[in-house]
Amino acid sequence: MKVKGFLKDVGGASRVTKARLEAFANASPVPVTVDPIHEVAYAMHPGKIELVVTDIRPANSTCKTVRFQAADGRRLPLFRAGQFMVLDFQIGGSLISRPYSISSAPLHTIGSDSYVEITVRSGDGKLLISDYVYNELKVGDRLTGMIGCGEFFYEPLRDAYHVVALAGGVGITPFASMAGEIAAGRLDMDLTVIYGSLNSHDITMGEELKKLEGEHVRFVHVISGDDPDWQGERGFITAELIKKYSHEDTTYFVCGPQAMYLHLYKEFDKLDLPKRRVRFELFGPVRDISIYEGYPAEKKDETYTLTVVRGIHEDVIPAKASESLAVALERAGIRIETGCRSGECGFCRTKLLSGDVFVSPVSDGRRAADKDFGYYHACATYPLSDCKIKIPIQ
Amino acid sequence: MKFYKDHYDVFVVGGALAGLSSALMLADKGMDVLVLEQHNLPGGVATSFVRGGVELEATLHEMMSIGARDNRLKVGKFFDDMGVDIDWLPVPEAYHASLPGLEVTLHPGLERFSREVDAAVPGTYEKVLKLLKLCDTVYNSVNILSVTPMSKPKMLLKHEQFVKTAGYSAQEVIDTFDLPQKAVDLLAPYWIYVGNRLSDLPFTVWAVLMADYIGYGSYVPRKFSHEMSLKIAERAEEMGVQIEYRQRVEKILVKDGKAYGVRTAHGEEIHSDYVICSAYPNKVYTSMIEPASEVPAGAIKAVNGRKLSVTAFSVTMLLDKTAEELGIKDYNVFYGTTMDTDHIYENYKGLGPYEYLTCICLNHANPGCSPEGTCVYSITVLPLADGWKTVTMDNYDETRRRVAGEMIDTMSKYLGTNLRDHILEIVIETPMTVNRYTGAWNGCIYGYSHSQSDNIVARLQTAEAEKFIRGLEFAGAHCISGDGMGPQVTNGRKAAKNILDDLKAKEAAKK
Repeated sequence: MKVKGFLKDVGGASRVTKARLEAFANASPVPVTVDPIHEVAYAMHPGKIELVVTDIRPANSTCKTVRFQAADGRRLPLFRAGQFMVLDFQIGGSLISRPYSISSAPLHTIGSDSYVEITVRSGDGKLLISDYVYNELKVGDRLTGMIGCGEFFYEPLRDAYHVVALAGGVGITPFASMAGEIAAGRLDMDLTVIYGSLNSHDITMGEELKKLEGEHVRFVHVISGDDPDWQGERGFITAELIKKYSHEDTTYFVCGPQAMYLHLYKEFDKLDLPKRRVRFELFGPVRDISIYEGYPAEKKDETYTLTVVRGIHEDVIPAKASESLAVALERAGIRIETGCRSGECGFCRTKLLSGDVFVSPVSDGRRAADKDFGYYHACATYPLSDCKIKIPIQ
Repeated sequence: MKFYKDHYDVFVVGGALAGLSSALMLADKGMDVLVLEQHNLPGGVATSFVRGGVELEATLHEMMSIGARDNRLKVGKFFDDMGVDIDWLPVPEAYHASLPGLEVTLHPGLERFSREVDAAVPGTYEKVLKLLKLCDTVYNSVNILSVTPMSKPKMLLKHEQFVKTAGYSAQEVIDTFDLPQKAVDLLAPYWIYVGNRLSDLPFTVWAVLMADYIGYGSYVPRKFSHEMSLKIAERAEEMGVQIEYRQRVEKILVKDGKAYGVRTAHGEEIHSDYVICSAYPNKVYTSMIEPASEVPAGAIKAVNGRKLSVTAFSVTMLLDKTAEELGIKDYNVFYGTTMDTDHIYENYKGLGPYEYLTCICLNHANPGCSPEGTCVYSITVLPLADGWKTVTMDNYDETRRRVAGEMIDTMSKYLGTNLRDHILEIVIETPMTVNRYTGAWNGCIYGYSHSQSDNIVARLQTAEAEKFIRGLEFAGAHCISGDGMGPQVTNGRKAAKNILDDLKAKEAAKK
């Protein structure tokens, strides 16, 4: 083997070593502390940030819109219209987090008055967090939150230009955000929202939605309650109704209560659409795990002992068979990071060290290898015996 | 509440492949090891994610240095020895090169590969095989010399080919074979796995790459790279290593030139005899050492004197038809408007349209990787951070979508199928995504550029002099062996070995 002659060839290693040392010797002694890639990554995904409530206003007779700004006045992350945020609450001794679709448009995060809004329904005295947000939260309150989570957003590389969105109740929120962005000329899509409400005089966010209507944003209200003066669509959202507002190539987005999902699964079956054209927002936490196939109904009233390992520390807490591991931890005041509360995002990935559990069949988004090694998503996993789990230290 | 012991033998910052491999090796020697990982998963970029109920590979194209079960190469053997049993699937081909005037599929095996090049560019068999055999000789020398120190005269005697080519670029050595340009073009595609143009890429690095991939083929884990990462982590825990997720290390504590522990973002101070750090030296020496006065001036100059290698931009799609239905014939296609790596390297400094794309259809190696009737297709480029540094939060989304769209359209044209009409799920990963999940400086996945001024042979020679803080080892793509998932295992083992050697030396000094 000869490249350029014996002496030159055998001297190669010394030559490159010299080049390396020279490069170091000639380098600047001034530390470069800024990483521009990190600056953008961090601006978009700063993790949990301290937020302050700056406005609360009614969205109809049973819903309120709550505005949040950064406690330190910084600009909030530019999320994608349709995404949710996760809020952390401390209620009594419990540490609880919940996802909320952001109802304001991303454009409102730009500028000095940077804010995001969520729109929530009252829990009617039955839902702890909803009631807390609706009744207790006030302007000036501080809480931590993470903005810009989830995959429920318009993606032009994948989706049709014409989108028909199907919304029920506060499920209007992601579409209100999209509509705001379209109306401001910041999102190039055509949106028709078919929106189911009980009564035309009390539509959630009704007044705000009207202002967003325009060339590429339409709201078709479908009234299911007793509303004698209503001239528009009535009843439930059916396959025929969906078809009526569709274009030849349409992508469908669905967000609403679980009962609406169960109804729409059947209606979509009738339409026989390509799978890629129909996108449901995540199912959310199941209300009653005992009705799902495979759940041992006789255990639903049991309470077990849950041993929680964090580092070398252990706690022992009660855990109800009817509630997810995440809820047991939250009740006990042990912080567990959760995101979607639907078993999909994996924020609450937890290792089961011993015991039996049941995984919600509608919310099993685990990785294959995780299944082999006993990893579970705590928000969608229910104890069926005394259990021992390992969770991240918070 | 106390979550940590008062003291550990070794503290590992970062639970990716390098950090976990070092933890494995140290635990195997009975050491008490703590690993803190900022993400809630092991593996760094060697991971997967679930979209629309379907698990998708995040980054792995093909693992080198594994080898068949009865003929393991060093990484495969290390996993076997450590009891990490990964379900490896062989990748069916080396690659398909789609270059101007060339559509050629090449397979592993030095002779077979040479014959296939010869079929496309007649009369080149002997020369190509000779070049690949030279690569193989250099590869064997590197494997020996990286663990066995040797005097220069002995090295010249026993590892002549290695010594004689060590000072040259890949291009300089390839040129001596006087091959037609088309044959050189067919040999060049793997350059992207080491991230530098042939004219500046050390021949040694290229030789190792070619000998390993083409000599022995490559593999992927059945349950994605998460299977590999998780199995290493689980085995390490079984051997007594404490691994904690969602723990970001903010500071490395140093006194009198010696690292003695770390402080986490939660404010805990944890002490150890040694620290192995996966963060880039750029970040460590500029913001992580406490007190900052413990950073020697030489460390800053050493960091500034090196050039960061490439970052990554990729589009992964779950498609609603099978690979056969969509006309996707190959596992791995390198598609280029040119095979001039100098030109491509310049092109990679920008924000597209990118001219050299790497396309993987995982179903061809792992048919069960996606649901019946679907397939997974990913298109990757490895740009330099330069262009992406000009992107802001406000134009990030449109930039990445525009770049991804260009790549999808290029490959749609190549395949004769509009991929946009088949997308069930799409995930776009950018340098920012890399930084977000791993903290990698500038979103770089390949560490420092393998180059003639940062040559792997020189790295080995000057390693001792570049230890700026005692008790602090690095483990990651920024280390001697550079980029790639296989080399991360080697980098991690090297960090562990340095600590074990140091302990041995201390023991000897006591006696």
